[in-house]
Amino acid sequence: MKTEKNLPRNPSSIKTRFAVKFLQAMNKMNKRKNPSTSMAVKYKRYQFIRAAATSSMASAVGPRRAWSRAVLRKMRNHTAIHRFPMNNKTRTTRRFPITRRKRSSILRGNPRQEDDLGFGQEDDLRGLVPGGQGMDFCRLLSETAHYIKCLKTQVQVMTNVLHHYST
Amino acid sequence: MDPPLVNEVSFTAASNPSSYSLAGLLSFPARAGGLGLRMGSLGGGDGSIEESTVTEQTGGNGGAKRRRDVGNSFDDGSSKIVSAINANQDLNDSNSKRAKVSGSRDENDVPKTEAETNSGANYKPAEMSKPEPPKDYIHVRARRGQATDSHSLAERARREKISERMKILQDLVPGCNKVIGKALVLDEIINYVQSLQRQVEFLSMKLEAVNSRLSPTIEEFPSKDLAIPPFDANGMLYGSQAPGEYARGSLAEWLHMQVGSGFERAT
Repeated sequence: MKTEKNLPRNPSSIKTRFAVKFLQAMNKMNKRKNPSTSMAVKYKRYQFIRAAATSSMASAVGPRRAWSRAVLRKMRNHTAIHRFPMNNKTRTTRRFPITRRKRSSILRGNPRQEDDLGFGQEDDLRGLVPGGQGMDFCRLLSETAHYIKCLKTQVQVMTNVLHHYST
Repeated sequence: MDPPLVNEVSFTAASNPSSYSLAGLLSFPARAGGLGLRMGSLGGGDGSIEESTVTEQTGGNGGAKRRRDVGNSFDDGSSKIVSAINANQDLNDSNSKRAKVSGSRDENDVPKTEAETNSGANYKPAEMSKPEPPKDYIHVRARRGQATDSHSLAERARREKISERMKILQDLVPGCNKVIGKALVLDEIINYVQSLQRQVEFLSMKLEAVNSRLSPTIEEFPSKDLAIPPFDANGMLYGSQAPGEYARGSLAEWLHMQVGSGFERAT
């Protein structure tokens, strides 16, 4: 392997940090030997890789961005449910502010959407960007910009890893 | 500043010239001249003068600059407020003040405060030399024909922010520069995000296939990537800064927590 040549130029970039995290996760998955090639296992592995990619990206970005915070929170909540199914009460209290905000925005009718666009695209975008439900439109746009940058990086790194694996 | 204080100031200014609100800038005879001039024009239209008097009164609280603006627009003959408006809350303040002041004003006060306005406009150069109070608010200037109430101003600022961010997004999304219209641009953005997300899904599918095919040989792969020098928070991409507590060790730990538990969920 061309180890020396592959050292990253900027070790603290989001790209590098994402790559490191992602590869660590992959490595960890590979340590659990699961020789089964059944469809269910494959699907679970795929799901794991996807989750690993998402959460690696989010944790590489850190909690500075709303979307990465949302992703991390979602991951944490998911694992909390699966680990402690009894512990649902704390989860609902933590989530309550979000639902309340959503409800109030529904009650208000959100007049902003109509005078800006009126095509319902804003809601589409909200659904795509993690954590987009509670944001105002300005915030949503800047988060989308950052999210797009990160997705591009993610695709790039994963393509490289794939190339590396397949050769 | 609360309304009672405003009234008091204007009243002392009217009754006692030595404690005039424009401090030491105005010499006594000049003020008298201004007063006479204004008194002459007072006969013209009572209603407009009443209105602009009130305007001046609210402007006087905002500081020297604002007073000058009001004076200028006064000279143009328009009684519309085209002056700088600080923030919503400030404007609301002055709105309530305006209501109070106009409510409590009687006929006698009108000429005196008129004189104050006029002299304020006449002695603009003298006021220039006066050190202005620090401006900790943003001036939003309305063009002719634009609304000046706080909601319109806030809305305009918001729109500008939105279009600026739209421009940033247009630069990010390939092929989006030629698209005209906010709705179409948003369509492009949505499509692009979706395609990227699908790409990630596809790539993880491919990775899964490749990975399960040759899992034993991959073992040493990350080890060379882990030989990277420790992270520092300086050269982050996208101008974002890594918080201090996310040193490398804790990050790895965190990832372990995140992904590890995610894996347990997945299997």
